[in-house]
Amino acid sequence: MSDTIFQLKDVNYSYLGKFPALSHIDLTIEKARMVAVIGANGSGKSTLLQMLDGLIFPDSGTVTAFGTDINERTFADLSFSRNFRRKVGFVFQNPDVQLFCPTVKEDILFGPLQLKEDRAQTEKRLDRLVAILGLGALLDRSPHQLSVGEKRKVAIASTLIIDPEVIILDEPTAGLDPMTTRHIIDILKKENSLGKTVITSTHDLHIVEEISDMVCVFGNDKKIVRCGPSSEILKDTPLLQAHNLVHIHAHRHDGSTHVHPHDHPSHEHSH
Amino acid sequence: MAFTIGNNFIERSITGAIAFLKESVFTDEYASRDGLMQSIDPRMKLVTSGMLLLTALLTKNIAVVLYIYSVSLIFTYLSKINIGFFLKRTWVFIPLFSLFIAVPALFNIFTPGEAIANFNIFGLHLIVTRPGLSGALLFVMRVITSVSIVVLLSITTRHSETLKALRLFKVPQIFVMIFGMCYRYIYLLIEAVENTYLAIRSRVGRQVHYKKGQQVVAWSMASLWQRSYRMNEEVYSAMLSRGYAGEPVVFNDFKTKPWDWMWLLLIIIICVIGVRFI
Ligand SMILES: Nc1ncnc2c1ncn2[C@@H]1O[C@H](COP(=O)(O)OP(=O)(O)OP(=O)(O)O)[C@@H](O)[C@H]1O
Ligand SMILES: [Mg+2]
Repeated sequence: MSDTIFQLKDVNYSYLGKFPALSHIDLTIEKARMVAVIGANGSGKSTLLQMLDGLIFPDSGTVTAFGTDINERTFADLSFSRNFRRKVGFVFQNPDVQLFCPTVKEDILFGPLQLKEDRAQTEKRLDRLVAILGLGALLDRSPHQLSVGEKRKVAIASTLIIDPEVIILDEPTAGLDPMTTRHIIDILKKENSLGKTVITSTHDLHIVEEISDMVCVFGNDKKIVRCGPSSEILKDTPLLQAHNLVHIHAHRHDGSTHVHPHDHPSHEHSH
Repeated sequence: MAFTIGNNFIERSITGAIAFLKESVFTDEYASRDGLMQSIDPRMKLVTSGMLLLTALLTKNIAVVLYIYSVSLIFTYLSKINIGFFLKRTWVFIPLFSLFIAVPALFNIFTPGEAIANFNIFGLHLIVTRPGLSGALLFVMRVITSVSIVVLLSITTRHSETLKALRLFKVPQIFVMIFGMCYRYIYLLIEAVENTYLAIRSRVGRQVHYKKGQQVVAWSMASLWQRSYRMNEEVYSAMLSRGYAGEPVVFNDFKTKPWDWMWLLLIIIICVIGVRFI
């Protein structure tokens, strides 16, 4: 039990009671795993991650986090919610909603301040994150005037600064250049090697392999169609194709067009 | 930029106004220059601007107002702000105020006294009186001086610092926070209007039939509201997710330098000279 971080049993959720977003979800996430959630647009990835972060609660079914059933009532308990917020960090899909302070620096420090973290240690982490993500020149700028990629980096920094045990990221690499994507993957792998649980949603099959040892595939009916080891799932081209995750590649060789599915697990292919 | 492709006057002026608003209010262009006012701690700047403002507003002597006005223009110059731009930006407010308050006060009906000029407008016999004239001048100078001080303060201070300074003057944190968010939303809304406009143009091409245009605009306004509503909810979630529990804890890192205290002293001297010796 102590090794289970999240356990969802037959969870259903719909927005405003009429837009279904999760349907009969059963899922167990163990400590120190790297989990990737993949699926087409609108399949429920963000909804699931928000539920794991205790921001929304199921219409039916149960969510257990760190061995406790979570719902509105458990979060009304201040010490529980503070403890939970300290343990679980969430990077939103839309960095605009995550950044609401006047300056980047204040935004990054918002979490530690709310959680009354130790000041000196926070400063140390801030310096490290700023160095890793290259945010030095941005600290005094207004977050809303940054580029999308810069915003995302700030959002990631503002989550990592509380040093959470569980890091949940909703499409963390969307809109980032290859170098920054690389940095972020490296950060996540490093955190995982320190025993952190990393849960990521993404469309980018290139990075799935690196940021996960377990993959959950969402179907179009807001259900998880399969959860399994990444190596297995990434080889299952028909499954991926059925859920909009692989696109057909067309390219020309000596005047003739040649079509094949974009094959991600092995990066080389022969013609 | 959007307004170069616009082909009718209103369209051009609206997109122009949006761009202007964005540039003048929302970029910290002047605030990031390396000038006099920019070097002063925002709290000090707020206090000293208040002192200059009070001096200009409380005096009955136009010479004092003129003196404070010239001081503010000197500060403007030393803050590396183009004086021409500054005068244009501040004098635009004057006609508006003058029309309603200063101009009527010129005449004998409102301000009795020695006559210095006569008018006959539509059979109405109007006399400009000496106290009327000096009263109107004093008024106009006071307005322009106050506006200049406020504009100077606001364009030389980063928006975020103004907010922080407010917080230090015991404006409740939650207000400052809401204020800051409003500002952010206005910015995002302006961006959204601009982007939606660009998106419409790129989709329907140069000529937008005006009926069609109306529909599109109505639709995009609706979606804008919806978007901002949803965003509010999400921002709240984001705050919760990072440990917000009702009362935000904020970060103050203002440090006053000796220079700030010298500045305070300088302004006190300027004000005392104004009140005592002029
Ligand atoms: N605030 C909301 N109000 C109503 N319906 C919503 C809301 N947010 C999401 N939905 C609906 O819930 C479903 C799941 O959405 P979700 O955001 O979880 O998808 P997603 O897998 O994250 O998609 P994407 O890849 O586009 O981010 C979608 O059908 C969507 O239309
Ligand atoms: Mg999503």
